[in-house]
Amino acid sequence: MEKTASRQAIRLFLQRYGLLLSYGLVVLVLSLLSQRFLGISNQINILRQASINAIVSIGMTLVILTGGIDLSVGSILALSAVISAALMKNGLAVPWAVLTAFAIGAGLGLINGLMITRGRIPPFIATLGMLTVARGLALMYTQGQPVTGLPPSFRYIGAGTLGSLPMPIVVAAATFIAGIILLRQTRFGEYIYAIGDNVQAARLAGVPTERVVNLVYAFSGFCAALAGLVLIARLDSAQPVIGQGYEFNAIAAVVVGGTSFSGGEGGLPGTLLGALLIETLDNGLNLLNVSALWEQVVKGVVIALALLLYKAIGR
Amino acid sequence: MAVQAQNNSIPSRGLVYFRKSSVFVILLVILGILALLSPDFFTVSNLTTVALQTSLIALVGIGMTLTIITGGIDLSVGSVAALCGALAAGLAVRNHLPTYPSMLIALVVGGMLGGINGAMVVWGRIPPFVATLAMMAAARGLTLVYTQGRPIAGLDKAFTFWGSGTVWGIPMPVIILFIVALLAAWMLTQTVFGMHIFAVGGGEETARLASVAVSKVKLGVYTLSGLCAALAGIILTARLWSAQPNSGVLMELDAIAAAVLGGTSLAGGSGTISGTIAGAFIIGSLSNGLNLLEIPSYNQQVVKGIVFIAAVLLDYILKRQRR
Repeated sequence: MEKTASRQAIRLFLQRYGLLLSYGLVVLVLSLLSQRFLGISNQINILRQASINAIVSIGMTLVILTGGIDLSVGSILALSAVISAALMKNGLAVPWAVLTAFAIGAGLGLINGLMITRGRIPPFIATLGMLTVARGLALMYTQGQPVTGLPPSFRYIGAGTLGSLPMPIVVAAATFIAGIILLRQTRFGEYIYAIGDNVQAARLAGVPTERVVNLVYAFSGFCAALAGLVLIARLDSAQPVIGQGYEFNAIAAVVVGGTSFSGGEGGLPGTLLGALLIETLDNGLNLLNVSALWEQVVKGVVIALALLLYKAIGR
Repeated sequence: MAVQAQNNSIPSRGLVYFRKSSVFVILLVILGILALLSPDFFTVSNLTTVALQTSLIALVGIGMTLTIITGGIDLSVGSVAALCGALAAGLAVRNHLPTYPSMLIALVVGGMLGGINGAMVVWGRIPPFVATLAMMAAARGLTLVYTQGRPIAGLDKAFTFWGSGTVWGIPMPVIILFIVALLAAWMLTQTVFGMHIFAVGGGEETARLASVAVSKVKLGVYTLSGLCAALAGIILTARLWSAQPNSGVLMELDAIAAAVLGGTSLAGGSGTISGTIAGAFIIGSLSNGLNLLEIPSYNQQVVKGIVFIAAVLLDYILKRQRR
C-alpha cells in the first residue's frame, strides 16, 4: 500500500517535472535562437497574451476535474462581452455593465450545468449546443457589427497597468489565486475532486453532486465572461466573432497541464504552465519570423511532443 | 447483471424497434414540420440538394461513429479533409498527375494521418481528444502551407465529376455515401473487426482479456476515420471545382453531432451507421429548411442549437420511458 502510494507520488512528481522540463526546453531553445526572447518586456508580453486563455482555462480546469468538458466558453465570452459593451455605450454605469456580463456568463454556465445534471445530456453535447446558441445570439444581438468606443474607466482592466504590470496579468493572477483557494481550501474543491474520481461514490458519501456540477459550469461561464471583458477592454472593440476556437486553446492548456480527461486528477498550477507553454511557443515562432502558415503545424507537433515526453517520463 | 435486467422487463419487439429508431422519428417530425412550413421543401430538386449537402457530413460522420464507438473521438477530420482535398487538387493541377493517382495518393495520406492519430492514442497514451486536437492544428497548418493560403483551381472534368456529376440524376456524392455506408454497416455488424470495435468501447480491459487486439482495433478505426475525411475532402474539392484552404472548419462538430443525434453514445460501446446518417440528415435538412424559410443566418444558429439539444433530450426521454 505504502509502496504504491510512494510510486504514485513519484509518478505525479515526474509528470509535473516533465511539464516543467518541456517548458524549460522550449525557453532554452527559443532564447538561444532569438536574443529578444528573454527580455523582460517580451516576457511580460507573453504573460499578457497568455492571460486571456489562462482565465478561461481556470474555469475549464474545474469542469474537466469533474469529468466534464465545456465547449461553449468562446461563445459565452462573446455574448456576455458584446451585451455589456452595448450597455456601456448606451450609458449604463460601468460596474453595472460588468455585473451584467458576469450574470450572463454564470447564468449560461448554469444552464449548461442544468442540461447536464437534470437533462442527463452528456457535457460534450450540452455545451456544444450552447456554443451554437450563444454565438448565434451574439451575432443576432449585434447584427454582426462590432461595438466600439468603450468608456476609459472600463478600458483600464484591459489596457491599463498596475505598477508596471499590465492589468490582464493582474486579473489572471487574481482569478488563479481565487481558483487555487477554491480548489484547495474549501469543501467545494474537495467535492470537485470527489466527483471526478467517482460520481457514484461521491453521491453515496453525501456530496451534493448535482449542485456542485451546476456551480462548476456556472464558474466556467463566469470565467469566460471575465476573459471577454478583459479582451474587449484591451481591444476597445467588442466583435461578435471574438473567442472563436478559445475552447480548444483552453482545453489544450488544461490537458497539457496534466489534468486528466477522466476527471479527478490534476490542478490549476499545471493549467497555468500549459497556457504559458502554448503562448511562449506562439511568441517564439513570431520572433523567429516563422511564417504564420507554419505556425500551426509547429504548434500542433510541439504540443503532441510535450505530451509524449512527460507521459513517457511519468510512466 | 444481464440476466437480472432481462427478468425485470422484457420489452416487446415494437418498443425495442421504436427505442432504437427514435432518431428516425425525430427526423420524420422535422421533415414534416419543414414540409408544412415551406411548399418548396418537399420537391425532388430540393431534396436532392439536401442529400448533396448532407452527404459530406454523413461521410465524415461514419468514420467519426467508428472512433466514438471505441470510446474515442476524432477532432482532426475537418483539417484532414481540407489537406487531402488540397493535395488531390495540387497533384492534379500543379504536378499534372492524372486524376485517379492524385485522388489515390490523397486518400493514402488521409489514412496515414488517421494512422498517426491512432499511434498517438495507442502508443503515446495521449487521450484521443488531445491527440486529434494536435492533428487538427497540424493538418490545418499543413493545408495553409501547401496552398499558400490560396485556393487551388483549374481541375479537369474527370475530377469534378466526383463532386458535381450525376448518374441517372443522382449526385455522385450521394452514390459514394451510399456505397461507403453499406460497406461500413456491413463491417460493423457482420465482421469480427466490427464486433471487436464494440468490444473495445464496451470495456477495454474485458476486451483485452477476451483476446481482442485492442491496439490494432484502435489503429484501424482512426485510419478509417482519416480515410473517410480524405474522401469527403476530395469530394468537396470536386464539388467546388477548387480546393479551399479553410474548407472543413468546424466539420468535426457537425460530424460528432450527427453521430450523437443518431444514438451513438460518447461513452463508447454503442452506435449505428444508419443512425449517424439519419443524424446527418437532421442537420442537413434543418440548414436547408431554415434557408428556405428565409430565416436570417444569425438566427439560424440559435434555432439549430436549440433543436439539437431538444433532439438529444427527446431521445433521452423516449429511451427512459421504455426502460
